[in-house]
Amino acid sequence: MFQKPSVDTSLSNEEKYHEDEVETVVGPSVHVEGDFNSAGNILIKGSVAGKVSTNKLLTLEEGSKVTADIKAGDAIVSGEIIGNAKIENRLELTPTARITGDIKCDILVVHAGALVQGKVSMTGLDAPEKNSNQTSTRSRVKSKKGSDDSE
Amino acid sequence: MYVYLYDNFLRQKKYESTLKAIETRLTDFGVAGKIVRLQSFTNSEILIQDEIRRGAKTIVIVGDDDTVAKVLSRSAATDILFGFIPVGGNNTVAEVLGIPIGELACTVLSQRRKVKLDIGWVNNRYFISQLHVPASDIKIEYDEKFTVSSLNGKMELVVCNLQPFVWKRKGKGDIVVHPQDGKLEAFLRPAKKKKWFGNKYEDPSIFPFEEMSVSSYKPFEMEVDGKSSKETRITIRLAKSKIKMIVGKDRKF
Repeated sequence: MFQKPSVDTSLSNEEKYHEDEVETVVGPSVHVEGDFNSAGNILIKGSVAGKVSTNKLLTLEEGSKVTADIKAGDAIVSGEIIGNAKIENRLELTPTARITGDIKCDILVVHAGALVQGKVSMTGLDAPEKNSNQTSTRSRVKSKKGSDDSE
Repeated sequence: MYVYLYDNFLRQKKYESTLKAIETRLTDFGVAGKIVRLQSFTNSEILIQDEIRRGAKTIVIVGDDDTVAKVLSRSAATDILFGFIPVGGNNTVAEVLGIPIGELACTVLSQRRKVKLDIGWVNNRYFISQLHVPASDIKIEYDEKFTVSSLNGKMELVVCNLQPFVWKRKGKGDIVVHPQDGKLEAFLRPAKKKKWFGNKYEDPSIFPFEEMSVSSYKPFEMEVDGKSSKETRITIRLAKSKIKMIVGKDRKF
């Protein structure tokens, strides 16, 4: 009650807000042209003509279209990609996915109905000794019959 | 030394008792100071610089969202600590800053919890709360890297800083813009089709950015902190940690 107000009460809140995940959303009738980078998750419902890259999750909804290379940490594709896809971890192709280009990823999940035209290379085959422990615990490629199934 | 900037609307009789209670509380806390009443044409930047020369260490804005916008848009570049005592109904910024309305704000002021806030910069002036471009044929370029346009033509643009923009999402949590996330966030809503009462809009697209330019082949309306103007090209930037402000512990960032 009789304490003097302290002058140096915390000035830095910076650590706190850096944790917030910023989500970029491209709406259904929005067209993006040019290289498109984001630090957070990206959700694409419209069309993008240019490279898309993020370290986090990239989601392409049904009806979306990307005409260029994509690079992401993880990706769930329900739309169309005309270009190469380089995914660090897990790539999931839903029944409506269409990819015309090469795929490079660590884990690939393909639902029945997804179309891929291109080369698929997975990092496990490049360095078998590195991933030998991982292959024993999980299957590298999972093919799903029904779209209702989820991993 | 504290200097209190009272907005002109506080002259109304209905605010008399609130102001009296605030002044009593400020005296109790030992933070009372000089009171300056803002007029319609007062240039707050010159006023604040004069007060700094006279020894002011803290400038406290007393009023509502419009008062904050009016004062800070002119004097954001001034290196001084700002405080805020919200009075009246139009006070959304106070909620973001965690400052209660009326005399309770004096407690927050006396605690002096200081935070540096990011603000927006548009066409040679700062903006504090919100920038709004009603549905127009605009083209947007972000960080000189990519352009965004609508397939339907018209788009509405909202860039938020201190004033919250709440996007209600069905089945998911609402998105509320944080005033201190190191980036400004632009909400773009393409107009679907014209209805009887205005346009029908799509779900917004969200792009965090540090710099963006909005252009159009014909002049479009822009509303910044409640003031409207017609422009053909605007550049919006983020001014990081520009304002030192006293905030409450219940702030939204």
